[in-house]
Amino acid sequence: MIRLTEINKTYPGAVPLHVLKGINLHVERGELVSIMGASGSGKSTLLNILGILDNYDSGEYLLDGTLIKDLSENKGAEYRNRMIGFVFQSFNLINYKNAVENVALPLFYQGVSRRKRNMLAMEQLEKMGLADRAHHLPGELSGGQKQRVAIARAMITNPSIILADEPTGALDSSTSRDVMALFRQLNRQEGKTIVIVTHDPGVGRQCDRVIRISDGLIIPDESIKTDN
Amino acid sequence: MRHNKLRTALTGLSVAWGIFMLITLVSVANGITRSFRENMMNSDTQKISVWGGVTTKPYHGYREGRSINLKNDDINTLGNEQREVVKEVTSELNGTQSGVSTNTTYVQAGFTGVFPSACELNKLDMLDGRFISQADLDKKAKVMVLPKQYAEQLFPPDGKKAVGQRVECAGLSFLVIGVYDARWRTIYIPYSTARVFSSDNDNLDQIILLLKGVTEIEQADNIEKDIRHTLASTHDFDPEDESGVWIWNAVSQALTVQGAMGILNIGVWVLGLLTLLSGVIGISNIMFVSVKERTHEIGIRRAIGAKPVKILTQILAESIAITTLFGYIGIVLGTALTEVLAAGIGSEMFAYAHVDLGIATQVTVVLIVAGALAGLFPALKALKVKPVEALRDE
Repeated sequence: MIRLTEINKTYPGAVPLHVLKGINLHVERGELVSIMGASGSGKSTLLNILGILDNYDSGEYLLDGTLIKDLSENKGAEYRNRMIGFVFQSFNLINYKNAVENVALPLFYQGVSRRKRNMLAMEQLEKMGLADRAHHLPGELSGGQKQRVAIARAMITNPSIILADEPTGALDSSTSRDVMALFRQLNRQEGKTIVIVTHDPGVGRQCDRVIRISDGLIIPDESIKTDN
Repeated sequence: MRHNKLRTALTGLSVAWGIFMLITLVSVANGITRSFRENMMNSDTQKISVWGGVTTKPYHGYREGRSINLKNDDINTLGNEQREVVKEVTSELNGTQSGVSTNTTYVQAGFTGVFPSACELNKLDMLDGRFISQADLDKKAKVMVLPKQYAEQLFPPDGKKAVGQRVECAGLSFLVIGVYDARWRTIYIPYSTARVFSSDNDNLDQIILLLKGVTEIEQADNIEKDIRHTLASTHDFDPEDESGVWIWNAVSQALTVQGAMGILNIGVWVLGLLTLLSGVIGISNIMFVSVKERTHEIGIRRAIGAKPVKILTQILAESIAITTLFGYIGIVLGTALTEVLAAGIGSEMFAYAHVDLGIATQVTVVLIVAGALAGLFPALKALKVKPVEALRDE
């Protein structure tokens, strides 16, 4: 599903910063993986590239068989919209839109009619057990509810991958467990490919595989085991 | 926008004010233009009239102070010149006051001998019957066209039965063929008939040139000069002598007034638009603030797949919506004020001041353009927001 080959990324500047130094990464369809690394390890940059939010200098990124490289703004937006569902640490819901409108927003950018997208959004919210919160504004929801709304928004376009950035970072431990359970459920029942970027080992343990990144390079799996 | 209603309302107020000023100024200016047109241009604007004058310069051995009398031949001479712009050369002959009577009643009236074109030339409103025809002219027919007032007096109560009746004048029987309405009252009879009554058969009171398609003041002035030169050579007076013949150049006058009205209109638009500009800058400012405040939101939208053009149109639409909303408040207030001016102030200046559909359309276009303009730079700034912004914590 995701295949990164020798990805390099340097931030230009007075002192150019070589952040990713040849990343090779392979995520199969239906996998639930976590990417872990300390801050400054290049984790965020990797996430940006995976999410088509940023370009890379050399190498190759194939997402669901599509080469993602040097895309125009429009192409990038379209691919993000159709292939990637984002879940963020701070939920990133639009605070003056209610739950249904937030969930339906990606479909708005696909040109789906209001009626149809609100109907689909309602279905997603029902799956998340939030049907009774559909017309609440984000400010009226708890952290866990907000994150479930965000996950519903990520799911609504039926994307190739779900990309979650510290999804439990702003939640207490019991809510975190619920959210992780939800991710696992989506992974097991709907076969979603899910990539979770985190620095929480507890989150990592609930995934099929942990990919560790350090100093711009992936640490091979074998060495992880010895680490543990 | 909805987060900061007071800020938006205050800025919107400046747009409303700008539009209010614009619409009031424009409609008052339109009113002035219209009242000028109503008052000054009820006769044909393509008309040049010539009367005989008195010379003020000696010429070819003649002394100054000589009277110039227009002759019948001058009509043909002038008609042969400037052919492409001269539609017709005619004359009017003003008779002295005479009595007109029926069996029962009597009025004292002035007469004007005219050609058929006089109806159009003087923009006469024919109420009944017809105007003088070429046939009447050829036959020197004893027919007359009465003004409404005389028709009422001669054929009470309302003059409706006037057409077809006969009246007595100077011992002759005339047939009433039509009744007209205008601001003046003179009885029109065929020019040829009037000549019979006039003692001097060769002299003309005036010559009227009816032009067509003259739109430049310069052209009108040149025609006037040519007329003066032609008449100067036939009547032997100095072409530079302004009083040899008197010329009323209605064409040039109308064009001058038209030009002045055009300038007034432009000036009013410029003033109004400048006033509006401050409102537009205000809107632009709050849109900038709004884009800045919503950087994160725009980032989220970009991350979940909003194409740049969607972001652009969203900001522009918002800007246009605010501008148009407050603009319409201005339009309503401006319309109310002009209506009050038109109704309340007796002056003719304002009597014609109205916000008509034309102005409303123009102002709406101005509003949309202004809104788009106000939103343009903020929208371009919003475009620079990268989707990565979504990942930044607020």
